[in-house]
Amino acid sequence: MSKSVLIVSRQAPWAGPGAREALDIALAGGAFDLPLGLLFLDDGVFQLAPAQQPAALQQKDLAANLQALPMFGVGALYASARSLQERGLQEATLGLPVEVLDDASLTALFDRYDQVITL
Amino acid sequence: MKFAIALFSPPHAPSSRRALRFAQAALDEGHEIVRLFLYQEGVHSASSHVVSPQDELNLTQEWQTFVSDNQLDGVVCIAAALRRGVLDGDEARRYSRDGANLQEPWSLSGLGQLHEAVQVADRLVSFGGA
Amino acid sequence: MATLHVLSHSPFSDSRLSSCLRLLGANDGVLLSGDAVYALQGGTAQHQALELMPSSIGLFALDEDISARNIEPPQRVQVVDYPGFVALTCRFAKVNSWL
Repeated sequence: MSKSVLIVSRQAPWAGPGAREALDIALAGGAFDLPLGLLFLDDGVFQLAPAQQPAALQQKDLAANLQALPMFGVGALYASARSLQERGLQEATLGLPVEVLDDASLTALFDRYDQVITL
Repeated sequence: MKFAIALFSPPHAPSSRRALRFAQAALDEGHEIVRLFLYQEGVHSASSHVVSPQDELNLTQEWQTFVSDNQLDGVVCIAAALRRGVLDGDEARRYSRDGANLQEPWSLSGLGQLHEAVQVADRLVSFGGA
Repeated sequence: MATLHVLSHSPFSDSRLSSCLRLLGANDGVLLSGDAVYALQGGTAQHQALELMPSSIGLFALDEDISARNIEPPQRVQVVDYPGFVALTCRFAKVNSWL
């Protein structure tokens, strides 16, 4: 039986390759059919902000890769309610369907996974 | 215990040295290291081009010795390495770059190797950031 | 499934410690390494936050980082060396490094 892995993505989308490289770990694991979860925490929630224009920074669109997650078998997507609230983001306008969790639910989430990578 | 150790920071970061000291202690305590996986800035810890002053720690050398002496599987993520200019002979030829700088015995491979190590190991310990 | 959280950033310039504290499970552990040991600096809000953690949460610090910075570890902290660090990762079910 496979070990489940929670990937915690804390980097803002345009702060370097961090956000993309966290996502790549999720997509790679999905491609191998592993039980994975992806949590957007702290500045990581900015990856979910709507209507971003990465072309203005000559960057590739992260949103397209995020949309691909369910196709790669990564359907367990989460975001921290506190992180969203602190950053003025509304759940209804997020660019990806995620389960929004409060701190107590996040503690329980961490507990459910066998391994965790926070980057 | 079987350990998978992932390193995300470059050789001049204290976390790279910390990862090595942890890995050494794990073996000394009789544990097994399934794989060392370098990702993000960690790929620089496998560079043969890092020059350390004589009176300073030579961490890339220490990593190389540790991996060789203990015959460990030292894997560097190929996508992260290319982006940061760490290439083996094949990649240097493929992209017409002047020379390889991936230190033996590190090898380039994909994120699948990280996932496999995580599945096989009892513990994943990651080092990075500061 | 208790988790060992490993921190290595200074808590004064960084939000990792406060994010970590909010997510701790009742039997989790917190290992301070690198600049994260500055959280043990007396007279700081960060030190106080650590002291206020329930006693069921283990608080650990890496010896070399305490020594290098001449930090006086509070009583509740268990100072560990590298073999101790390895033992901690075995004792807890998983390790979450806040990279």
